[in-house]
Amino acid sequence: MYNLIRFIQKHFFIILFLIIEVGCVILLASSLSFHRQVVFNLTNDAVGWVYKIGSDVGDYFRLKQTNKQLAEENARLRERLTYETDTSNKKLHVLDSNCIYRFIPAKVVNNSINQSNNYITINKGRIDGIEKDMGVISTDGIVGIVADVSNHYATIISLLHSYSVTSVRFKDNQHLANLKWKTHNFRYGTVEDIPTHLTLNKGDTVVTSSFSYIFPEDLMVGTIEEVLVSPTGDLNQAKIKFATNFSTLRWVYVIQNTNKKEIDSLTFRLPKL
Amino acid sequence: MNTTVKIILRLAGLIVAQVLIVNHIRLGGYVHPYIYMIFIILLPINMPKIPLLLTGFGLGLVIDLFMGTLGLHAATTTLIAFCRPAIIRIISGSQKLDNIYEPTIEHLGFPWFLRYTLCIVILHHFALFLLESFSFRLMGQALLRILLSTPVSIFLILIILYLFKTDKKKND
Repeated sequence: MYNLIRFIQKHFFIILFLIIEVGCVILLASSLSFHRQVVFNLTNDAVGWVYKIGSDVGDYFRLKQTNKQLAEENARLRERLTYETDTSNKKLHVLDSNCIYRFIPAKVVNNSINQSNNYITINKGRIDGIEKDMGVISTDGIVGIVADVSNHYATIISLLHSYSVTSVRFKDNQHLANLKWKTHNFRYGTVEDIPTHLTLNKGDTVVTSSFSYIFPEDLMVGTIEEVLVSPTGDLNQAKIKFATNFSTLRWVYVIQNTNKKEIDSLTFRLPKL
Repeated sequence: MNTTVKIILRLAGLIVAQVLIVNHIRLGGYVHPYIYMIFIILLPINMPKIPLLLTGFGLGLVIDLFMGTLGLHAATTTLIAFCRPAIIRIISGSQKLDNIYEPTIEHLGFPWFLRYTLCIVILHHFALFLLESFSFRLMGQALLRILLSTPVSIFLILIILYLFKTDKKKND
């Protein structure tokens, strides 16, 4: 026993080093789980506050670009509105009754694109009605899913994250596939599990599928850049160009599904397999 | 200025600079410079090993909270804090450092300081990018990142140290 204590005393520096390193690697390996939740709940407000200061300064330099984006979106929405009221009133009614989604605008206060796992911080939190697992979109396309929420800020798992999987659909032929991020380039994503009989062309549009309650159906995701034919002949992959430009992301909308509780309770009632 | 206050101000300044400015440098997607190691580089030479290790861990943890990568930077900074005494010993050789408080360019000369910074930055980048990729599949990409980011980081670190060097002379 005495020898053991002497050994620890003699090598305390190295032992402490090894303990810290092992602890860090364990934290890193489980970085999407419980630890992350606890730590980020405690610190998200403080971290968000620092990012907000930086973002407030940066905003003045981007006023022109932001204005332009908003004007373009306004024009697009106005166009759609006139189109839909003109062609058939029926369509508008259908839209009304299906409108279970609420959009909460938020400002991006921090965004990374060059890590292996990228997160976005926005300036809306629990007080503004944001909850975990809500979808986030920009004016151009989908952006990610809310991961952690504190009182005034929320952290989003960007599409540029190794854990990110989104159910998508090819607009032309209605086939479903999964979107992941494997390119490590912020402009491109990878669509997996494409049946080999599908013929896809460069420029085909990829939209969200109706299979998730996180994103409404038919939201823009991106366009096909290149089809990667599988060498073994099973399922093809495609490289797609994101519609959202992650490097200039400033304003986003968080999507609240007003029927989420109902859907959750239904899923909950399913017999456990 | 009081040494403790100076060290705390330096810590806060470096974290803010890293998080709000340097993290936004995006050159082609492979260059991610880091400057917060300056804090560990400039810690007193005769600082006891255990507090040095804990300081390194604390610095990494704070950076991790900002970047959303719990454990990644903490593991890396702990490693460089652990290796720092050995690096200083090897680089100095027979040179006597007893009467020097902080390792700076003025005190130890540019060649010594460049070798010292080079060792710490390379060690930091190797550990960080390999840990970040977390698999051998992405090894090639990680190596490319290390190769491209190291010169930029060293360049930035030397510029920052040079900018703040003149201030210190005035204070002394």
